[in-house]
Amino acid sequence: MKKVLIGGIGNVLLGDDGVGPYVARLLAARYEFDDSVEVADLGTPALDLVDQISGKDAVILIDSIDTDAAPGTVLLYRKADIIRHSPGVRMDTHSPALVDTLLGADFFGIAPPDVLLVGINAEAYEAGCSLSESVRASLDQAIAEVLGELERLGVGHRRREHEAQLRLWWTNEETMESALTR
Amino acid sequence: MAKRITIDPITRIEGHLRIDVEVDNNTVNNAWASCTMWRGIEKILRGRDPRDAWLFTQRFCGVCTTVHAMASVRAVEDALKLEVPLNAQYIRNLILIAHALHDHIVHFYQLSALDWVDILQIPKADPTATAKLAESLSPWTRNSRNEFKAAQDRVNAVVSSGQLGIFMNGYWGHPAMRLSPEVNLLAFTHYVQALEYQRKALQVVGILGSKTPHIQNLTVGGVANAIDLDSPSALGMAGLENIRVLLDEVVRFINEVYFVDVCAVAAMYADWFKIGSGVRNYMAVPDLPLDSAGTAYDLPGGYIMNGNIAGVHPFKTASDKEFRDGVSEDVTHAYYQGGKPLHPWVGETDPAFTGWDGEQKYSWVKAPRFRGDPMQVGPLAQVLIGYAQGHPLTRKYTDLAIGKVQTIGGIHVTPDMLHSTLGRHAARAIRAAMLAELAQKHWQLLVDNIAKGDYSVHNQPVFSGGEVEGVGTHEAPRGTLSHWVVIKDEKIKNYQAVVPSTWNASPRDAKGAHGPYEASLLHTPLARPEEPLEVLRTVHSFDPCMACACHAFDPSGRQIAKVKVL
Repeated sequence: MKKVLIGGIGNVLLGDDGVGPYVARLLAARYEFDDSVEVADLGTPALDLVDQISGKDAVILIDSIDTDAAPGTVLLYRKADIIRHSPGVRMDTHSPALVDTLLGADFFGIAPPDVLLVGINAEAYEAGCSLSESVRASLDQAIAEVLGELERLGVGHRRREHEAQLRLWWTNEETMESALTR
Repeated sequence: MAKRITIDPITRIEGHLRIDVEVDNNTVNNAWASCTMWRGIEKILRGRDPRDAWLFTQRFCGVCTTVHAMASVRAVEDALKLEVPLNAQYIRNLILIAHALHDHIVHFYQLSALDWVDILQIPKADPTATAKLAESLSPWTRNSRNEFKAAQDRVNAVVSSGQLGIFMNGYWGHPAMRLSPEVNLLAFTHYVQALEYQRKALQVVGILGSKTPHIQNLTVGGVANAIDLDSPSALGMAGLENIRVLLDEVVRFINEVYFVDVCAVAAMYADWFKIGSGVRNYMAVPDLPLDSAGTAYDLPGGYIMNGNIAGVHPFKTASDKEFRDGVSEDVTHAYYQGGKPLHPWVGETDPAFTGWDGEQKYSWVKAPRFRGDPMQVGPLAQVLIGYAQGHPLTRKYTDLAIGKVQTIGGIHVTPDMLHSTLGRHAARAIRAAMLAELAQKHWQLLVDNIAKGDYSVHNQPVFSGGEVEGVGTHEAPRGTLSHWVVIKDEKIKNYQAVVPSTWNASPRDAKGAHGPYEASLLHTPLARPEEPLEVLRTVHSFDPCMACACHAFDPSGRQIAKVKVL
């Protein structure tokens, strides 16, 4: 059984930066996963991310990114893409921690073999607890990318018959419909 | 001719601190500390239920989540005049201590040791000689030749591959690096081991807080941990025993490794006891309350002005009137609207970005002042304030550290030498040793109190209506943290967080007085101005964290320049 971490990264108080935790919580509410899968809202981790990823066979991180692409564009990065950009170009709003974490895990010999970053290009990072329209419109695609990676890894997931409670406590969203589309 | 050097960013982990120094004759003659991002997330709290504020403030920063949660519930409790049951105080104290131990270990090893330790010297070390040296310094059982050899092999593999990976940004081979190959290997091996022990400290936070990185067990008026000695789902004997075992291991690492390494590095770089002093006004708040009302504490607070240790003024409580009345924030050199300094209860956060101008506005960090003066906060402040008041635990470990540095280095050390870059590292190790002892004490206090049959963890908050103000403080790993809340009709009317890194990284104020980072850099000698390692040493000694002082995003997104010599 592959041990997988699905981790949402970002600050839920900074507009689109909250998309990582947002997607992680949508996934947890809508799907059931094999017992070896952990879905976590990691906030804005620094070096403790090493502890979170250590011992996993695969890590799927969801985070906002800051590229020249249109807001809401979903871009995928593998480990080599992430560490190649260090330290010249900032690709991810938490890249210093992410790059250090991946390089550190390599050095200590605890790096997960599979790493995928599902990046959602942000529109605005202004203080506030809601996502912009363009980022909202890409939530389904971000979720699909995560599920696609699980299929590639051969890890099971099932749509829940009854959705579990949405724990988007920092927003006013109470239903899956409003969380995805409003 | 004077040269301007810009270092941006200066934290090894996420952060957006920029330092500009003007160098003449290989000596720093002027300095500016600035933050390159805008914050302003406090405004999100306006209009919300004060009982929920801690959930939001916990997201201010990814590194210090728990400290902002704690300061927030304390602020609301202060406003409501609400006491906290003993069990809740002890559980909170254990969380705060465990978090601080994790933080201090990570700071020294992962964030600043490599300012002093040269990776490229490690392949030259003799692991057998290293083991012999290590055994002469400490009883640590993992100081074996095999451990040193294994760490050396890892470094050899990285160095010979030419891909330095995580070590690619160091100033290796810099003339200010002075340790022998064996001491470099010794410290580096502990750098590797430190990762395991900081994790054990975080596990304690996770057990008590239900989760990391965001704890779930706080509530205004206490904690949400159900205490039931026999239930596996509540906090019972199994969980408490688990915590005791983890704490014992962390305590041993602090005493036998971290404390010893800091003393050894200090002894070998003794000239750094004369560098990096700066602002000699110090402030700390009392913390680790020992009773429900918060009248007695295990960590003392107070303030010292102009390095006058004998003239220390104590703070009696964590929301001492002198502290409550004395704090204001100046925005003369910060990118905000507004004129005269404002008290946090009436504080505003309205941005007015004008671009970096060292003569005018140059930082997103406001300049907090205590009765109009800049203050240095952090472990050094706490240790000096405790030492000055004759606090027995502070005296015990300060004297122990001084003795160790003297023995290892064969030099004379006095408490006055703590006003320095090395003093900040030494004080952090002293504080860690104090906290290690207090971790075991508070574990016992909790167990003894539960054994008496007291299972109470929460007092119900009661709102009286009208407008009330509160301040919640915490002596956090980087120093004095204060959250200021104004509650009107059960809703938050205003909220401000004055965080440790804003005290230390503050820009100049209306009077032109430097903040602590800036002042500490003046007169620093640089061996190679184009590789300003010495600047990094002093700034890192404060344990900077701009993710907290500002927020974790850089609007331009592409400002990562390593070092620019202008």
